[in-house]
Amino acid sequence: MISSSSDTMIKLQNVNKSYRLDNEIIFYALKNINIRIEAGEFCSIMGPSGSGKSTLMHIIGLLDKPSSGKVFLDNQEISNLEDDEISRLRNEFTGFVFQQFNLIPKLTVLENIILPAFYCRKSLSFEPKEKALELLRRFGLEEKKNSYPNKLSGGQQQRVAIARALIMNPRLILADEPTGNIDSRSGREVMKLIDDLNHKEKITVILVTHDLDIAKHAKRTIKIKDGQII
Amino acid sequence: MINLAIVFKEGLADFSRNKLRTFLTSLGILIGVFAVVILMALGLGLKKYISDQFESLGNNTIFLVPGRILSGGGFSGSASSFTGTFDNKDVDKLKRIDNVVSTAPLTLKSANAQGTIDEEFIDVMFSSEAIQDLMGFEVDVGRFFDKTDLTKRAKVIVSGPKIAEKLFGGNQEAIGKKIRIEDVRFTIIGVIKSKGGGGFGGFDYDNYMFGPYTTGYIFNPEKKFFRIAVKTKGEQYVSQVKEDIKQEFLKRYDEENFSIVEPTELMSAVNSIFNIFNLVLVAIAAVSLVVGGIGIMNIMYVTVSDRTKEVGIRRALGAQKSDIMYQFLTESVLLSFVGGFLGLALAYVAVFFISRYFPAYIDLVTVAISLSVSSFIGITFGVFPARKAANLEPVEAMRYE
Repeated sequence: MISSSSDTMIKLQNVNKSYRLDNEIIFYALKNINIRIEAGEFCSIMGPSGSGKSTLMHIIGLLDKPSSGKVFLDNQEISNLEDDEISRLRNEFTGFVFQQFNLIPKLTVLENIILPAFYCRKSLSFEPKEKALELLRRFGLEEKKNSYPNKLSGGQQQRVAIARALIMNPRLILADEPTGNIDSRSGREVMKLIDDLNHKEKITVILVTHDLDIAKHAKRTIKIKDGQII
Repeated sequence: MINLAIVFKEGLADFSRNKLRTFLTSLGILIGVFAVVILMALGLGLKKYISDQFESLGNNTIFLVPGRILSGGGFSGSASSFTGTFDNKDVDKLKRIDNVVSTAPLTLKSANAQGTIDEEFIDVMFSSEAIQDLMGFEVDVGRFFDKTDLTKRAKVIVSGPKIAEKLFGGNQEAIGKKIRIEDVRFTIIGVIKSKGGGGFGGFDYDNYMFGPYTTGYIFNPEKKFFRIAVKTKGEQYVSQVKEDIKQEFLKRYDEENFSIVEPTELMSAVNSIFNIFNLVLVAIAAVSLVVGGIGIMNIMYVTVSDRTKEVGIRRALGAQKSDIMYQFLTESVLLSFVGGFLGLALAYVAVFFISRYFPAYIDLVTVAISLSVSSFIGITFGVFPARKAANLEPVEAMRYE
């Protein structure tokens, strides 16, 4: 495994996530997690439901903050960043692909894909609409650009979601059970796309799944159970 | 930076999906703006009406009135002011004051008068020929009475157009006709053009008749006048002339027994009363705007909780708290602005019909105020729900179904 720290993209150091359930009982969703993910890696996080893998993904994706421990991105500690700065990183650094697709129903396919660009504060090196159309062409969905998400099949919706995740040229794709809600044929197509992103475009991919076949696409699998890496 | 066009589009899409809810929410603002605009339009109309009445008197005219007139209330002042106090000596004194162009003593006689068509209880104003210029009467047919009529104490009458119509069936028909006032027969020598109005603080001259004050002594054996109108050379002399008159009259009368009234002064007093009156009414109507605002706040809270998941998704895509805030604020402003716009439009239609009977009108200030107030309400009452949306935790929000 590559271990030169300059290539380390993500580092979690003694990360804990706990919830106070009652006044006294404290539930640990993550216990003392240490992970290092290299740039360009294709890695999967595997575990049964309730194991804490989603929480882990949320912390890596900067959607959630650990209760204790440190998170580094490109060797920069992010736990003490302002909310706006963290939003900016989510916008520019990470692309999310969710099990539920999470497209916005009242926006068209094209608008959904462009949406992250609207939230970007810096001037873009590309024209968002052109880029979105190019991605739609690549994913074979060009004629659906003005459709609304509810007119699309699950597989198509997930491909739109992937296009949305790619619009900002992210360095990291976080995919949470990306095939969990679609039929197996579409699932294979989606996984082919994700494979290509890693192989051809050298985008770092972290795949969260409980499915061993899906996890096999990754070169490395981090197994998690009861909030601990095993 | 977040694109305003797409925020608008999303807001409108949300509205059209919940048409009834949107309409009912806007209704509060609609009614509030409608009420405020109507009241402002009525207030403006009333003010314009009054100032038109006063303006017809010109800004270089002064009235001497018996008793003390406090602030405003129009010409009538108190009931006692209709009884005669002044006499010819006063008129002569006024004539000698510098920069006085003309004076017109006034007495009133109310009596039954017999015309060719009808009999009517009428008011006759006896004055000098100067009253024509002072009041700005224009002769429609015939002529106004002159100095000769005054010296000859001629039994001539000039009629207002309305009363001429009532008694004789028209201006032309009235000329040369005899009219009996009590036992005295007068000849109608002229009819003036309509001055319009009447009511608030002014005489309805169209329903008056006018005669020489010397002839009027028949009904006024004491030769007392209840009012003297004085015309100065120009507006700039008014205050000096007022002061001179005061000094002169204090020699003869107590301070409580006469007032010197300037129509423009009266007008501003009347205006300030109406302004306060109008302000109170508008403030009451504005309460309904606040209620409308609370309605918007309520529905925006519902919208925020309906769209919690959407907020989570947007945050995951990199939306900052301020982006979420602006989005919901835009929607609440849109909601109240639309309500305000519809209220204004409705008020416009209503004022169009009202203006046939009453001089109500909507000015640009009213339009600007109503639209900016409704936007302001959208912001004020939208800010709390919007802040709630902005402060949702991304993960919690995305989990929300």
